[in-house]
Amino acid sequence: MLLATAYRNLWRNRRRTQLTLSAMILSSSLLILALGIFSGMLDDMLASATEQYHGHVVISARGYQDSHDLYATLDPVPLLEILRRRPEILGFSPRLRGFGLASGAKASRPVELLGVDPGAEVRVTTLSHQLEQGAPLNAGGTGQALIGRGLAEKLGLKVGDSLVLFTQAADGSLANDLLRITGIFATGDSRRDNNLVLCQLAWLQNFLVLPGRVHEISLRIADPLEAEKTAAALRTLVDPELEILDWGRLLPEMREAVASFDVSRMIIVLILYAATALGILNTFFMSVLERSREFGILSALGMRPRRILSLILLEAGLLGLIGLAGGTALGLLLTWPMAAVGIDLSATLTAVTYGGGTILPRLHAEFVAANFWLPALSLFLVSLAAGLPPARRAARLKPVEALRHD
Amino acid sequence: MTDLKRAPLLHLAWKNIWRNRRRTLITLAAVALSVTLVQAFHNLSHGVYRQMIDNGVRAGSGHLAIYHRGYLQSRDERLLWSPKRLPADIAALPGVTAVLPRIYLAGLAQSSRESRGIVLTGVDPAAERAVNPFLKQRIAGEPFSRADSRKVIIGERLLRELKLKPGQKLVITVQRTDGELASELFRVGAVIRTGLREIDGSLVMAGRERVANLAGQPGTIHELAVILDTAERDRQVAPAVASLLEGRNELGLVPWDLAMPNLANAIKLDYASQKFIFLIILLIVAIGVVNTQLMSVMERQREFGVLLAIGSSPARLRRLVLFEGLLLGGFAGLVGSLLGALATLYLAEIGIDLRRFLPENLEFGGVVFDPVLRATWDFGYMLRIAVYVVVLSLLAGLYPAHRAGRIRPAEAMRKV
Amino acid sequence: MTRSIQLLLFLLLLVPPTASAMDMRQLIREVEDQYMGVSSEAIMVMQVRTAHWTRTTEMHAWSLGRDHFLVRILAPAKERDVATLKIGREVWNYLPKVDRTIRIPPSMMGGSWMGSHITNNDLVKAAHIDEDYDFRLLAEDAQTWTIEGLPKPNAAVIWGRIVYRVEKKRRVPVQIDYFDEEGVRVRSIGFDRVTKIGNRQIPLRMRVQPLDQPDEQTVLEYRKLRFDVDIDRTFFSRRQLRMP
Repeated sequence: MLLATAYRNLWRNRRRTQLTLSAMILSSSLLILALGIFSGMLDDMLASATEQYHGHVVISARGYQDSHDLYATLDPVPLLEILRRRPEILGFSPRLRGFGLASGAKASRPVELLGVDPGAEVRVTTLSHQLEQGAPLNAGGTGQALIGRGLAEKLGLKVGDSLVLFTQAADGSLANDLLRITGIFATGDSRRDNNLVLCQLAWLQNFLVLPGRVHEISLRIADPLEAEKTAAALRTLVDPELEILDWGRLLPEMREAVASFDVSRMIIVLILYAATALGILNTFFMSVLERSREFGILSALGMRPRRILSLILLEAGLLGLIGLAGGTALGLLLTWPMAAVGIDLSATLTAVTYGGGTILPRLHAEFVAANFWLPALSLFLVSLAAGLPPARRAARLKPVEALRHD
Repeated sequence: MTDLKRAPLLHLAWKNIWRNRRRTLITLAAVALSVTLVQAFHNLSHGVYRQMIDNGVRAGSGHLAIYHRGYLQSRDERLLWSPKRLPADIAALPGVTAVLPRIYLAGLAQSSRESRGIVLTGVDPAAERAVNPFLKQRIAGEPFSRADSRKVIIGERLLRELKLKPGQKLVITVQRTDGELASELFRVGAVIRTGLREIDGSLVMAGRERVANLAGQPGTIHELAVILDTAERDRQVAPAVASLLEGRNELGLVPWDLAMPNLANAIKLDYASQKFIFLIILLIVAIGVVNTQLMSVMERQREFGVLLAIGSSPARLRRLVLFEGLLLGGFAGLVGSLLGALATLYLAEIGIDLRRFLPENLEFGGVVFDPVLRATWDFGYMLRIAVYVVVLSLLAGLYPAHRAGRIRPAEAMRKV
Repeated sequence: MTRSIQLLLFLLLLVPPTASAMDMRQLIREVEDQYMGVSSEAIMVMQVRTAHWTRTTEMHAWSLGRDHFLVRILAPAKERDVATLKIGREVWNYLPKVDRTIRIPPSMMGGSWMGSHITNNDLVKAAHIDEDYDFRLLAEDAQTWTIEGLPKPNAAVIWGRIVYRVEKKRRVPVQIDYFDEEGVRVRSIGFDRVTKIGNRQIPLRMRVQPLDQPDEQTVLEYRKLRFDVDIDRTFFSRRQLRMP
């Protein structure tokens, strides 16, 4: 009954309600857009640090990630079945790593060799998507390599040339072979671009005389922020001698980068919230205050203060609900183009390394559910809070005073 | 209300906005607070960026750097050059705090147990000690001495990997410019921890004369980093330095943002996202002002009707409403800026200590920044924000003013 | 490797019985001068044992003085004709499988040579021993002299101290110990199977033992060895490196 009255009241002064609503909807949708952009930046940061090279979660022999000991290998076969059964794991890539001397026409340089199964690696990292020239590794082929732009320049090599590799294999023998460069990547991260050679896993196993062995299995999961949970779940399923590290442990500097990003963004979000909440509070407060006279009449007609209070709060709640529904819808609409297209800044900026990752110079938004329900909920609470002081005032108002009120 | 027609509009507008004091105060608070927050936050970022740039240029290429042409692109170690009188001449220019000659050689460091690839950096100890933030991160050993000293400053991780202790020796092998390998004995003087993994695992700093001799090119350098007293001085100093370089066509002058694109871009990217957010905040502010003005116009329909009836022109009414918005915005901008200045004062003097949130050093764009964030004053920007708010309020008043101008007296009088 | 040959030659030295009374430095000078221009050819077998594998490589080696050195692998078949050439301070490797010659960059000089416990750097340390170290007689008993080499203050050597034990009778080294600056022994090289080659007494076997990995070692053994071979500098060329 009261609800119906509240609803009717809202539309009695249609213009004022429309005004209040439009302010709420616009502000909250802009807030949603801003949060979406933050999520996009965070996502870019995380993606760059993890998806460019490491993956979200890495399984390896204990201590391998720290020592990169050639002999700390594992047999991937029993693990693959376990990984296949977990829905949150979108891809896994068994990899073998070696270090050696690479030489081209101009010079020789120490390099890192990363052997991958091209079909599997594509589902985990973006290395093969960042090709500047040439083509990715052929899944069935052998003896091919992708190298970074910096390395190609230093060695004086281009697509189609041969790269000589020389190292000591796991049996102590002196391994040497040629790889044909099929593509050159540019990640923007100088460490990778200057010393990573990506090659086929089968070739590297043969080259290093480690048949069937890998150093790590790198995973991509649905939500990178859930990496820690996935790692913990996997630990209960596999041999305890294996080490399962999520990106936060693998890249402590990245975790700090995310933390610092959070701190500074939190400040900004607080500012945004404050501005939005104040705006809403303002319109709301005004609309309630302006109706003091009306509440005075209600009270003169014998409506109990408590009921008046409830009525006003109900109106506030209703308005808040409509506002947040509209705001969320408009927020979605605004976020859409930013998520699909974004703003590309690469004309003025090159990639930036940040805490172990490389951020692409762009602003874009990311859809994260929390960015929608959190502002919506908090704005709803804000509208209730905004309704409360004037409602209490109105409830306490003596009818005579209220009627005098203009 | 009496001599409405002749009263100066501004005065009238001022009186009008205070007629509904509560509403005006709330709007004022919202707008002023937004101004305060934007200004304070910008000044904080400004301070952090400035500190990052300062740290970056002192450890890196200086505000201005002189290289052999092509060195920045190729990092070809053979592009050594002799600074001759340049360091002294540049140091004498007004606005120059320090001139740092440096030489960088990739090499191999060996202890009796391990060997690691390193970057041997030859510097001028006295000049560097006063300027380079890396050297303030000393965790053991004693600072640098003379330019021909065998004592090196070494990154903490590298020291661990080589299994060395301060005072012990290491042999560094580099490739001379003629292609020959040359080795030299050094001793661990001081150990630093910069928090940058790369640096801590590969930095070996030695006196530049010794390093240049090792490269087989006595007296030469790769880089001459010029540190200015403020980053803004480069406009005056750069031409002066350029004129000193006349006749040395092999050399090029590079500002820090080109020499260290990573740092420059990190700042630009951060700033781009911040600008976007500020834009949103200002929009929200504008919405608030539009809202207030529309409400007040709608409430005063009757009053406006009366005004029109007694001969006010719609244009005058429009102006009145516009002025109200302008005054509201101007006043809010003023109050907000005052509060913004207070907030900045706090942030500049006390700052935000991130150490409570973060365990270790923070790196952004290849520079470690101080865990205590401090604001610096950017008056130009503060003024600009205040002006934006005034302009926004004016724009926000356009529609309500337009509405006010369209009121028909007869109708308006009928309204409550 | 070369260093050991040098040392070996230094120690073949005709160290006179009155060594304790001799000016060591003067003595080493004489040896150095003698050593100049000595050429050798050898067939040697290198056995390397690490925690993960043990392997035996047979090699053909030539040397001329201190600065020229060429080694080519004969067996195992997989690595046949892999070769190393050292001229002065530069090291080149020839890889037959890809028919390429690679110069070892400075950053890799600390790496293992041919998978052994000898580094590429050991190969090029053609430092003038007499300029890098001061020698003194540490102890003497009926069979051996113990000589200590202390690096000169600014010599570019990584050791804190080297101690040689030399057998008096045949004037051959028995053991060389390498210490770090704290006096901890890091590596030791032992010599045995002393045989007379021409007019020189030569230990045919040498054992390199890293002391922080007690179960690992490299053993080098001469199967054939002759001195004063008819080769000159032109023999030590990159072209020669590629010619089995």
